Amino acid sequence: MGRYIVLRLAKGLLTFFVAVTITFLIVRLMPGDPTTALISDSLSPDDALVLKESFGLDKPLYQQYFLFLRNLLKGDLGYSFFYKDSVSSIIGNKLWWTLLLMGSSLFITILIGIPLGVISAKQQGKLLDQIINVAVVIGVSIFVPLLAFLLLYFFSFKLMLTPIGGAYTPGIDPSQMFGSVISHMILPCATLVITYLASTVLYMRNGMLDVLKEDYIRTAKAKGVSDRKVTWSHALRNALIPTVTVTGLMIGKMVAGAVLTETVFSWPGVGTMIYDAVQKQDFPLLQGAFIVLAASVIVMNLITDLIVAWLDPRIKL
Amino acid sequence: MREKTFLESFSRHRLGMIGLIGVSIILLVGIVGPFFVPFPKGYGEAMPLTGPSAENLLGTDALGLDLFSEIIWGARTSILISASAVLVAMFIGIPLGLVSGYSRGKIGALIDSITEITMTIPTLPLMILISALVGPSVRTVAVVIGVFAWPTLARIVRNSTLKVSQMQYIEAAIVLGIPKGSIMFKHIMLNIAGPVVVDITLIMATAVLTESSLSYLGLGDPNVWSWGGILQTAFKAGHHFRAWWLVVFPAASIMLYVIFFNLLGIGINETLNPKSRK
Repeated sequence: MGRYIVLRLAKGLLTFFVAVTITFLIVRLMPGDPTTALISDSLSPDDALVLKESFGLDKPLYQQYFLFLRNLLKGDLGYSFFYKDSVSSIIGNKLWWTLLLMGSSLFITILIGIPLGVISAKQQGKLLDQIINVAVVIGVSIFVPLLAFLLLYFFSFKLMLTPIGGAYTPGIDPSQMFGSVISHMILPCATLVITYLASTVLYMRNGMLDVLKEDYIRTAKAKGVSDRKVTWSHALRNALIPTVTVTGLMIGKMVAGAVLTETVFSWPGVGTMIYDAVQKQDFPLLQGAFIVLAASVIVMNLITDLIVAWLDPRIKL
Repeated sequence: MREKTFLESFSRHRLGMIGLIGVSIILLVGIVGPFFVPFPKGYGEAMPLTGPSAENLLGTDALGLDLFSEIIWGARTSILISASAVLVAMFIGIPLGLVSGYSRGKIGALIDSITEITMTIPTLPLMILISALVGPSVRTVAVVIGVFAWPTLARIVRNSTLKVSQMQYIEAAIVLGIPKGSIMFKHIMLNIAGPVVVDITLIMATAVLTESSLSYLGLGDPNVWSWGGILQTAFKAGHHFRAWWLVVFPAASIMLYVIFFNLLGIGINETLNPKSRK
């Protein structure tokens, strides 16, 4: 158990360390004065001075770096220009909505994508497979705001089946909260599932085609194991390994889809917050959003790698 | 029987040909179009927010400007940014991939880790942070996209280099005492050009998606027309439900650009390696 997990944790920590170091360098080394990026010009000179000292902006770069890391360890991500509140507490309220949206979409994608990929591989070259192939090319080319808008336009605006935006009806009775969130989540979730689905189906299909050529599949068939059992139990498990690996690598890209989706549906997560922060030039909030999203992606990567290790007995946990 | 040339095989690939024709049309429209269509600016003479008509083929925006002209100028922006981003990605990704595939060892492992880390982190939020700090301009957006688009290229160059560098002609070149740099950038490079070209077309596609996402989020160059920027203006003013054409046409342009480049890439790939067509 130990060695693999320790190595994997070390890799995750290293990635996080690189991500925060890039952030630090970008903010300090960009053209112009880093104070404009870190300290709101609407603050009184006294308050600005206090903040300036807390960032160590009057000290040499390496000391600022240690200060930056120490603040980060304490969970201090700076102070938002617009909300006049600590970045970590603002993002803390939004992150769960983003993780809820991304997590459920990813779950549904895997639930639909894996059987679709298997069916596509089994029907190789036939009509269904060709339809899936064309759908995959369109799927990887989707511009998320367009898809989100079309769904919103038809289902919420024209047919009035789903809510226009937000994550729940404001002021709703707590007992009805669950249903309200679900109904608000349908369209954003559908948007993300459609965008994520293409690559999952593609990798599952190709993984399956590779596995079905293996000797042990032929052996199983020769021994008289039914085709259905060979496909869905012998082959599936091994075809899952590359699919889960690739899904893990793609989580970073999936964040982009989630950010764009949230803005169209006014989902109260980090994505909509980023959009607002761009309009208001709230740099500390943008910096905090990147750090927190990077950390979330690294944790999700870790989880997918553990799933791969569990699926693949050659990796000794 | 004579072996078929690449072009002969490619011309039989239906999807690849659709991609090639589509890409050619987009390049023609984006490069030549702006010489014939005036740059939309100020207030237009037409009624604001009118749907497609004979005078304004794709309708007008909130300032009464012609959407068709905006989209043609937007094509130029998309081509300029995605092509520059590709150049930046090539400048970083190709040398890194070559060195990592050819020298392996510690340097190779280091480059691999850098590639993997860059692939893992969520790049869009990072690009947003940088563009917001530096201030949005065509140059910023192009460089920022390119700086994060190189990992796939480095990966592909590395894997192809690993295969090629075990071939006899490379061993022969080493025995002949040809310098390392020349082996990598000439002898190996020429033999891995195929997969590199394929990845470049795919990067052209994703670069436009990223460029459009950034301008949709309000980080496009305010002095040029871009497809994502038209969307941003419509969404911000809340015109997206009243004037569907302000959303559908720019977004359709983005998707066609992406689909055509993807199809071109698939076509080249499957012509070069017929086996990859599963």
